[in-house]
Amino acid sequence: MVDEDDQPTVLVVEDERALIELYVRWLENDYTVLTATGGEEALEQFDERVDVVLLDRLMPGMSGDEALEEIRGRSSDCKVAMVTAVEPDFDVISMGFDDYLTKPVEREEMVETIQRLLSRSEFDGIEQELYALSSKQAALRASKPKEELDDNEEFQRLQERIQQLRDELDATLPGMEDDEFVAMVRDIEGDADDTDFDMPGGST
Amino acid sequence: MSYRVEGFDGASSFDDGVSLLMTGGSNATTERLFDVVTPNDDERAVVITTNTGAKTVVRELERRGTDRDQLGIIDCTNADSDIDGVSVRQLSSPGDLTGISLEFAKLFNDAGDDGVRARVGFASVSTALMYTELRTMFRFLHVFTARIRSGDMFGVFSLDPTMHEDKAHNTIRAVFDCEAELTGDGNSVTGTGFE
Repeated sequence: MVDEDDQPTVLVVEDERALIELYVRWLENDYTVLTATGGEEALEQFDERVDVVLLDRLMPGMSGDEALEEIRGRSSDCKVAMVTAVEPDFDVISMGFDDYLTKPVEREEMVETIQRLLSRSEFDGIEQELYALSSKQAALRASKPKEELDDNEEFQRLQERIQQLRDELDATLPGMEDDEFVAMVRDIEGDADDTDFDMPGGST
Repeated sequence: MSYRVEGFDGASSFDDGVSLLMTGGSNATTERLFDVVTPNDDERAVVITTNTGAKTVVRELERRGTDRDQLGIIDCTNADSDIDGVSVRQLSSPGDLTGISLEFAKLFNDAGDDGVRARVGFASVSTALMYTELRTMFRFLHVFTARIRSGDMFGVFSLDPTMHEDKAHNTIRAVFDCEAELTGDGNSVTGTGFE
């Protein structure tokens, strides 16, 4: 049994209690599961621990779309899968969620989607470190002669670490599909609008 | 499988999923990019252009033996790009990265074949960098090259180092598997993913 603290946290938002119970049974062994029966309750439950939100689109009271907007305003790190009655096209995907599930949702599909979203978060994390180190490497290259860098042990370690991160990044999303590609680029542009990521050295 | 390419010293084919950065003067890299993305009979080519109108892209690739139905273009130049028999998608700005990704997805979706072998050209990163932050471009290129990798495609991206600070060039190059420097007296390729 994995220590609960190490498990990713999934917030399930669904107005049908029977479905919530079903989803919790599917997920509770592998994830820390939080539940909410509506948009307002989802926002009460939501905090920085949540890695993935499964959000029913059509709910009485606050809709999934409204809840999504609020969640996006609070955090750009967490991934949101919209649970919808009909399959959306690419254009809808560019509206703000990271993935979607079409009802009725099957267990395998749900678990795969959550895993994929977690991999995407992992990709983001590796990419962030890679940018910081690549910036550092670039600054060194611009300021010191090549011969000096070739002899420098720290620069060699930096290069090795960059290569290692590149390999990890390549291995993180081997099965990326088009809809995932579009959603990830959308997230990048969303972040660029929100914050100034272009910090020297990339560290915060 | 691999993608055959002529005219590089020490590299005649690139592995599936590899992305190549091609650096040098804007005109030279654009010309060379057309050579490299020219598809074989069983391949397609998708060109994302921020610096050359779609009409020129079509003319240049046809001159190199490409059929129009092998070709897809995402034109961010605002040039008139209505061309018979070629899928051309228009975007109003090279900075519209979500639009680029969306149109890219649609081009393949419309082709209706998932397993298609494709060369993807991006001309140029330098122009796109005038519309986006370096940080944003770096992330975008990572995600784009990951998509090229997962689809077993071959990506070619051009960059003119004289248009940027060294730091930008050195940071961007970290995204790519390999790099070809067009120096005039040789086109050597460094990095991995080619033979």
